[in-house]
Amino acid sequence: MELDEMKQLWARMELRQDGMEALLRQDFRERRMDQARAALRRALRWQALELALWLGFVVWVASFWADHRQVTHLLVIGLVLHVYGVAAIWSCATQLLLLSRIYLFDAPVLVQQRRLAQLRRFRVRSSLALGLPWWFLWLLVSTAGLVQLTGVDIYAGGSPAWYWATLGVGALGMGACVWLAHHLAGQPLRSPMLRRMVEDMSGRSLRQVAEQLDGIVRFERE
Amino acid sequence: MLATTGMRTDMGGKPDQQRFEALWREHRGIVLKVASVYARSAEERLDLAQEIGAQLWRSFASFDERRAKFSTWLYRIALNVAISHLRRTGGEAERFEPLDDGHLETIAGEPAAEPDERLAALHAFIGELDALNRALILLYLEDRSYAEIAEVLGISATNVATKINRIKQELRGRMTAATVTGGA
Repeated sequence: MELDEMKQLWARMELRQDGMEALLRQDFRERRMDQARAALRRALRWQALELALWLGFVVWVASFWADHRQVTHLLVIGLVLHVYGVAAIWSCATQLLLLSRIYLFDAPVLVQQRRLAQLRRFRVRSSLALGLPWWFLWLLVSTAGLVQLTGVDIYAGGSPAWYWATLGVGALGMGACVWLAHHLAGQPLRSPMLRRMVEDMSGRSLRQVAEQLDGIVRFERE
Repeated sequence: MLATTGMRTDMGGKPDQQRFEALWREHRGIVLKVASVYARSAEERLDLAQEIGAQLWRSFASFDERRAKFSTWLYRIALNVAISHLRRTGGEAERFEPLDDGHLETIAGEPAAEPDERLAALHAFIGELDALNRALILLYLEDRSYAEIAEVLGISATNVATKINRIKQELRGRMTAATVTGGA
């Protein structure tokens, strides 16, 4: 069969459309189509809200380390949290920008698919870079929060050795998480959320995105 | 094709919805054919067609006929949704189940067995292509000009022609091999 013969065959093919129109009408009647538009607006608003929250966090952290710049460990904790907050703002703003470029889905196919792959790659990388450090960041946030709210400094008041040991356990937990993800990658997991986390942490998601981007480049060049 | 009036401003109002429904009725065949190429089962085909319909509606407010023909705009959205669906469901690596009599209607007067076999062969061939080549071949089968295919995909018309020729050669080679194997 030649390609031109296929074209004739394709032109004569009619797909059954039973139910399609009814389904669309039902979607309109039940306001699902409007909900689809609203869901998109909600996603963008949520991203904007997250950005505003991180801005608030950075302002608070900046005032924290400025107030405690005489105490070395509090200054360091404040600066680490400040850097983290700026990274989170950068991540949110970039995702918001990337989302705003793709949500209509009306760009040429190669442009849209490249943008989607770039957004996915950015999301995976930023969620790993910003998510995994929480294994020890919680301790830094708690320390700063307690100092700010109650004046109690758990580093100076308690044992610095305990503090460093807790941070060490956090680093070990982070490593264990990555190891477990590598171990579980490729295995059937019921929860879609857990599956996505495992794929992100094991690097499978990034490999898939890289393959997609390579495929787009090959398609353009060949 | 229905006449459209530039940028829509009515986000979800009745006139916008009525115009959309009219365009949908006129072009739903395109959506179904895109869904048939990217989904693996009848149920998935329906879901995908609905997903495309929802995205078309979501983007309809931004459709501007001065920037693109309605069919070009529709193909872009339908293909983008379908390719994303395929990647999300991990279907690119899997072979899809070919269309059967339940999904197809052949033209009256045509012997039923022969065209369905050929259609199944056609779908099997398309199913072996990657997501982007599927889009290319679908647009070719839909008898779109190289210029419009280029506009939908975002490559040059020359590139489209080269790719179509390559697919033709591949298909010819495959058919020759099948004939030799079948004859041996």
